[in-house]
Amino acid sequence: MREAVEPLLSVSHLKKYFPIRRGVLSRVAAHVKAVDDISFDIKKGETFGLVGESGCGKTTAGRAVLRLLEPDAGTIKFDGIDLRSLGPQELRRRRRDMQIIFQDPYASLNPRMTIRAIVGEPFVIHGTSGSDRDDQVATLLKTVGLDPSVMNRYPHEFSGGQRQRIGIARALALRPKLIVADEPVSALDVSIQAQIINLLADLQQQFGLTYLFISHAIPVIEHISTRIGVMYLGKLVEVGTSAQICLSPKHPYTQALLSAVPIPDPAAKKQRIVLTGDVPTPINPPTGCRFHTRCPIAVERCKIEEPPLRPLPDGRDTACHLV
Amino acid sequence: MTNVLEVRDLKTYFFTDEGVVKAVDGVSFAVERGKTLGLVGESGCGKSVTAMSISRLVSPPGRVVGGEVLLNGRNLVPLSDAEMRRVRGSQIAMIFQEPMTALNPVLEVGFQIAEAVLAHEKISKREAWLRAVDAMRAVSIPDAEKRAKDYPHQLSGGMRQRIMIAMALVCNPMLVIADEPTTALDVTIQAQILELLDSLRQKYNLSLILISHDLGVIAEVAETVAVMYAGKIVEIGPAMDVFHNPRHPYTQGLLQSIPRLGSSLQKKDRLDVIEGMVPNLLHLPDGCSFAARCHKKTVECTRSEIILEAISEQHEVRCIHA
Repeated sequence: MREAVEPLLSVSHLKKYFPIRRGVLSRVAAHVKAVDDISFDIKKGETFGLVGESGCGKTTAGRAVLRLLEPDAGTIKFDGIDLRSLGPQELRRRRRDMQIIFQDPYASLNPRMTIRAIVGEPFVIHGTSGSDRDDQVATLLKTVGLDPSVMNRYPHEFSGGQRQRIGIARALALRPKLIVADEPVSALDVSIQAQIINLLADLQQQFGLTYLFISHAIPVIEHISTRIGVMYLGKLVEVGTSAQICLSPKHPYTQALLSAVPIPDPAAKKQRIVLTGDVPTPINPPTGCRFHTRCPIAVERCKIEEPPLRPLPDGRDTACHLV
Repeated sequence: MTNVLEVRDLKTYFFTDEGVVKAVDGVSFAVERGKTLGLVGESGCGKSVTAMSISRLVSPPGRVVGGEVLLNGRNLVPLSDAEMRRVRGSQIAMIFQEPMTALNPVLEVGFQIAEAVLAHEKISKREAWLRAVDAMRAVSIPDAEKRAKDYPHQLSGGMRQRIMIAMALVCNPMLVIADEPTTALDVTIQAQILELLDSLRQKYNLSLILISHDLGVIAEVAETVAVMYAGKIVEIGPAMDVFHNPRHPYTQGLLQSIPRLGSSLQKKDRLDVIEGMVPNLLHLPDGCSFAARCHKKTVECTRSEIILEAISEQHEVRCIHA
């Protein structure tokens, strides 16, 4: 049934390494393997959540998908087109279908531009007709729950939640098919977070949007996502439906991550798997399974042989020898 | 039970060019020996300023303009700055959100902890260093002797926060105020730090004030919870009561608006939200500050000041509809 639907976005074997240069000749001494061979599909109209701790590569993955960061390897098929084969001109034209919402609503809006100029800028860049631009901006502002009268004001006059709405209006301007939302609610207060999450859900319904939703906040990811991919040190360790990942995680890292989430209920029984130690560096990740240094159930094999992401009978994918 | 700390009608105002901001406006609570009070609220609600006022770290244009801060029965508010310096660090210790900015980047971490001891006790540098290493062991830093010679940048975020905790504990304070101690940390590291704080509290019979915007973090460690909104406590009581039987519409709204783990069981498309946003503290409305966002609002709400009233023995709510 769902398998028949062609994915809107199909990422395979995506890699993004950042060189570390040292010495007078700036020779490349090592690489930060930020994203190291990940593959996933996103179907039209669904929300794919990418979750993981800081440094796991989720943000890099989101940007590499849009070629905001040039990937080092892999293919990205978007709406039937191989994005990596496009030249700069063509890529720019395709970008109108793929937009991004950033985490920090303070840093992502130019403080010297009016709201009219910020939300209208995509029209300028993509050269769409200018006659009714104010009307278009006004409609967009209304769509995200802002009063069109704010058009002549500047970002500093708005609260974090309002700024995030402005960023969303800008992302919507060209009626994209895919929106990469990179921690869009992490900088917001609890009561404002819920407003923005609801807005994103409403817009998805209204415009048939597909989201790649990146966040470290697991309850947020669970609420908004159809499917979830869990990243650890540049790799996807488990991919499945929201319920599979959050109600019955199979990978020991997913299990530990979920058990660490604080539950807003003092009566909740806590069976916490406390991971010892810190996340190793992605410059020189552990051999074999990258999680073996912190894994409570690791065996000899895990230190030597890297577990591939393989399908389980229930349809999810897990990268663990012991599952 | 003895109260280590009693805060009575604390008021801290900021005298800005635009007007007076009543950041903390009549806050009262008590912390028992060996217990944890959780102070929860959104940005600008006054939870951090409350903490800073207790340890007198508020700087101009802010000023504590009223109230009492009783530490073991002794009022700290009239103390001179010099007297207060002796209290801070030795009897009250603070842990901040960002361990990287709270540590000096060019000094060894062990030295920074030792400095805290030397500021309060007449002991040799050698002894102070040993105390620092002991404190680092107490917060489960492996290889403490070696790590003490590290600089902050050589340590991970979680390790740095352990250093901050070691520094807070090294003079055996009776009260520790932790202001968003895990907000900058990853969730697996957050779990480690919360567990550590809780075990240290039990081991040393510490009183702890934990400030957080995260209701989950508060629920994990606090016995008593105070919810702040626009400079005032709107609800305070035992954690069980506040979380299971919230009576203030703001507390209710907050608890309903957070996405919860396990939500895919009963997939809701929308979260319940609190409409609108926090009022400007410069122009607070008469009566209840939350009224403009409240679904229970009536004309009585904005007529006059709403007081914090007990609805059961320990549970108090600032709402006439509670």
